[in-house]
Amino acid sequence: MLSCKDIADRASALNDGELSGWDALQIRLHLAMCKGCSRFVAQMRATDQLAARASDPGEPLEHEADDRRLTEILSTLRKEQSRH
Amino acid sequence: MLANQLQEKHCIQRLKAGDEAVFRALYTRHNQPLIRMAATIVNSRATAEEVVQETWMAVLKNIGTFEGRSSLAGWIFTILINKARTRARRDGRSVSFDEGGEDDNLSTAFDGHGRWKAMPELWDEITPERIVAGRGLAEHMRMAIDALPPAQRAVIVLRVQQEFEPSEVCAILGLSDGNMRILLHRARLSLRATLAKLL
Repeated sequence: MLSCKDIADRASALNDGELSGWDALQIRLHLAMCKGCSRFVAQMRATDQLAARASDPGEPLEHEADDRRLTEILSTLRKEQSRH
Repeated sequence: MLANQLQEKHCIQRLKAGDEAVFRALYTRHNQPLIRMAATIVNSRATAEEVVQETWMAVLKNIGTFEGRSSLAGWIFTILINKARTRARRDGRSVSFDEGGEDDNLSTAFDGHGRWKAMPELWDEITPERIVAGRGLAEHMRMAIDALPPAQRAVIVLRVQQEFEPSEVCAILGLSDGNMRILLHRARLSLRATLAKLL
């Protein structure tokens, strides 16, 4: 019988869909009976979704800096090409 | 062949032909994640930006030799990691990602039978825009990711934000599969704990 700690240790693998067969079945059984673990696994999923979405640059300043650097790269490249 | 593989093949052909619009799109998509990644290895944001700039130059110069053995993004991140490591060594720093890191932060959460001492809370309305303690949750999350140990941060950027396959994350960072999974799990636990304190 898996303990709550066992479930917490496997939460990443579970949310990533990496568990199969007997492992997955045991965990599903535990989750069906344990509110604490269901909540924890949901929290881990919510954390991951937020981490994924937090990567959006979003900041106008960053966009401006990006545009400036991109122009630099392209102009350096054009200079090099015209030399060859 | 999958639709996105076809799209990637087309993108590579256009880059090889010198299509600036395709390069622009690639740059816009990856520049900030590359800077975040470089910042896990070098000692400052300014140095990270320089290393990323060098990486883009190398991408444009060497795209003709890219053989498609990894994904295009995987190739770009591999160039970045090599350049950042070279730069860090020159600056007298050494960064190895192959470290287990400290213990996870759940060691005190369970009783002697492995049961929760305190029941985890039910979270709702976890949206990036939600304001908590004066900031949006997305901003809190960015700060929490920046505060992770370098190896954990690198794995979160590549696996969760860039959505690389586990095998590609391992190849880019030079990690074993087992170690990558430990780092990923610990990083997620740490980010969860930060959110739990806020919510």
